[in-house]
Amino acid sequence: MSTRTQDPELTGTDPGHEGPGIGARETEAAVPTKILVGLVGMVVVGWFVANASLAFAYYPGWFADSKVLIGILALVVGVGGAYFFFYFLNQFVEGLPGRISRGLMPYAFLAPGYALIGLMLLYPTIQTINYSFANADATAYVGLENYRTVLGSQEFRSAILNNVLWLVIVPAVTVFFGVVIAVLADKLSTRGEKVSKSVIFLPMAISFVGASTIWLLVYQYDPANEDATGLLNAAWRALGGEPQSWLQNSGLRLNSLLMMVILVWLQVGFAMILLSSAIKGVPEDTIEAARIDGASELQIFFRVVVPQIKGTIITVFITVVILVLKVFDIVYVLTDGRDKTQVIANLFFAKLFRDSQSGQASAIVVVLLLAVTPVLIYQVRHFRREEMGR
Amino acid sequence: MGARTRRRLATIGVVALSAAALSGCLQDPDAGGGGAGGGGGQLANNASTDGDGTVTILGAYGGDEQANFEKALAPFEEETGIEIEYTSDTDFTTTIKTRVAAGDAPDIAFFPQPGGLLELARSGDVQPIDTFLDVGSLEKTLVPGLLDSARLTGDPSGDSGVTGAGRIYGAPMRLANKSLIWYPKKAWDAAGYQVPKTLEELTALSAQIKQSGITPWCMAWNADQATGWVGTDWIEQYVLSLYGPDIYNEWTSHQIPFNDPQIVAAFDDFGEVAKAQGEVYGGVQTVINTQVAESMVPAFRQPAECMLERQGSFEISFLPAPIQADLDNEVGVFPFPSAEASAEAPPILGGGDLAALFNGDDEDAIRLMRFLTSDQFGAEWAQAGGWLSPHRTFDASNYPNQTTKDIAESATSASEVVFDGSDVMPKEVGSGTFWTGMVNWIQGQSSQETTDAIEASWPQ
Repeated sequence: MSTRTQDPELTGTDPGHEGPGIGARETEAAVPTKILVGLVGMVVVGWFVANASLAFAYYPGWFADSKVLIGILALVVGVGGAYFFFYFLNQFVEGLPGRISRGLMPYAFLAPGYALIGLMLLYPTIQTINYSFANADATAYVGLENYRTVLGSQEFRSAILNNVLWLVIVPAVTVFFGVVIAVLADKLSTRGEKVSKSVIFLPMAISFVGASTIWLLVYQYDPANEDATGLLNAAWRALGGEPQSWLQNSGLRLNSLLMMVILVWLQVGFAMILLSSAIKGVPEDTIEAARIDGASELQIFFRVVVPQIKGTIITVFITVVILVLKVFDIVYVLTDGRDKTQVIANLFFAKLFRDSQSGQASAIVVVLLLAVTPVLIYQVRHFRREEMGR
Repeated sequence: MGARTRRRLATIGVVALSAAALSGCLQDPDAGGGGAGGGGGQLANNASTDGDGTVTILGAYGGDEQANFEKALAPFEEETGIEIEYTSDTDFTTTIKTRVAAGDAPDIAFFPQPGGLLELARSGDVQPIDTFLDVGSLEKTLVPGLLDSARLTGDPSGDSGVTGAGRIYGAPMRLANKSLIWYPKKAWDAAGYQVPKTLEELTALSAQIKQSGITPWCMAWNADQATGWVGTDWIEQYVLSLYGPDIYNEWTSHQIPFNDPQIVAAFDDFGEVAKAQGEVYGGVQTVINTQVAESMVPAFRQPAECMLERQGSFEISFLPAPIQADLDNEVGVFPFPSAEASAEAPPILGGGDLAALFNGDDEDAIRLMRFLTSDQFGAEWAQAGGWLSPHRTFDASNYPNQTTKDIAESATSASEVVFDGSDVMPKEVGSGTFWTGMVNWIQGQSSQETTDAIEASWPQ
């Protein structure tokens, strides 16, 4: 699509150029040279890129065994290859007869992207569903056996219960604290707001595993005759309690609740930032109007502010819901599912890598997929509504 | 040129080009088996170039151990001109599987667990050692029992159609002695305790220690995701001490069920140590929450707060630095006793890294394998400490201190070495339900319930 007049898209969509226009003369009939050049170009580029990558792997000696050189060359070949491939693809499609060319152009350019998504996302999903009906090393089909085993196991039911608990508690608490902090920070001086927001946002920069390790130290247990190194036990002892082994205490699922604290701590910053900007976006005059009508601050908040930031609240809520459904790192680091703290994602990991049961692991993931799907559908709908509202 | 001719020309051009593109790909210079390799005709061949003077190794240990290992290889590299590239990966067990599956196997790998080695041997990725090593003379110098752990028996499911069954796929290059009891020497000597010769004497000793106001046993199980393995070593030790190597091997190879009454009895016996009031430092919560490496810390306090620790030869590297500096005067060690006194040294629970060859036609890799598995390898590593040779003929004067010499002596004089059971059992059990089962057990689950649950999880 080099110039305006040659653009088949433009000539096609603009009714003013319909008929024997400038562009039409060039594009109505097929241009074999362009087709040929495009095809040859695509094949040559594909051949060159494929062989270059093979050469990197098989003959590092050609590149002086230098990993840096190979890396740079791979970058050049990759990016350059993509450029030339699209260039020849464009040639090829432009060479086709006008009607076909116009119809095909957008698809031709989208196709590589679709192919990648298909390869990286759809294919693994379908294969996972497929493997969930197969045996431990995916060599024979076993029907619904995996689902029977998984659904019948005590561990899986315990994991489901825990995931439901996480789901009920974490998103709600995160949004609640997010809103409260955003509102309170809004009332501070500019400087105070900046500082307090930064501090609350800080945990967002910590990786899940890092945060889990930090909290492992907070929940650390030491016998009564030694000094307390765990923060929680130190506080507990200062109040006169016996040292507690918090992460082993599954009464009322206390250990799971303590792990949820970590996720809330990590995510409140995210919720606060989004909600805070939403609150700042609430038009001042609507609040003014409410004040003049004699509404209290609480009434203003619930009747005026909340309805106007509802969209953001839902977005934050759904994001955290999806995050919670996938929760893995925290449980893996702190307890690895011991003492009734198992969750679906960690159970899947254990089945696949510890037990080498790829069939059962796939079945667990399919169950997780089924659980996430309604949320995803709702989210897509919600976003679409939001977009339309704009 | 008419439109039709042009179209036809274009078609021909396209066909020719696609043919060229499909056939014109580079070929892997090292593809396929063929030719070389010895005796058995089977050849494991990875994707790396043969005879290029470079040998790649994948192993689990890094840090100081890696440095010492490389030091032990330096004379070999100098003499032969072969360059050795060692890569360490703490998640070795998973990494080696994914690398082999991806066609990117190293030339040599060191397996800490025979189970993982045999899994790959079964799929034909490992070269049997009889094609390049003299198994007969190896058996003469090695500690008895070790080599058998790398022998591929029939399929566990009972399918006898496994190719390469009965052959050995790895040779030990490092030995671990897990049947040891450690004690703080100064406190021990001051109290005048005697080394027990039988299990009964051991129980009497712990009662004596308890009477003096000290909890007898130091114990710590926490190893993050691997929590519980210390408990499995204890149970294995009890099974071995109570019933001997034959029953032990029947149990680990599942010829008798996991919840056999004898095994339940072993759990109960260990329960009198681990679960009894005042036997273990800090009680159950401390055991579960203390890192394995910190278990002996209370033993070196003034006064000592626990006296005995059952742990493998690697305990040396866990000891506090000032203790390590004066090892022979600070720490004593004796073999875990058998149920009954005998003139023979008791059988020991051992372990070791098995070297396995993935590149069966690379002369350089084979030469290195011959060196690694001989009694000539390791003098430099032994001097640096923390390493035991699996060969009885290894020159013991290389060990840096008396403690290490004692540990080596107790391993090489043992009537038999049996491999750590949880390393031999299927992964689902050995590093899965056996670990979690021990954690549940020490927190109050009964021996019967625990063994029943582990038996139920054994893969069919």
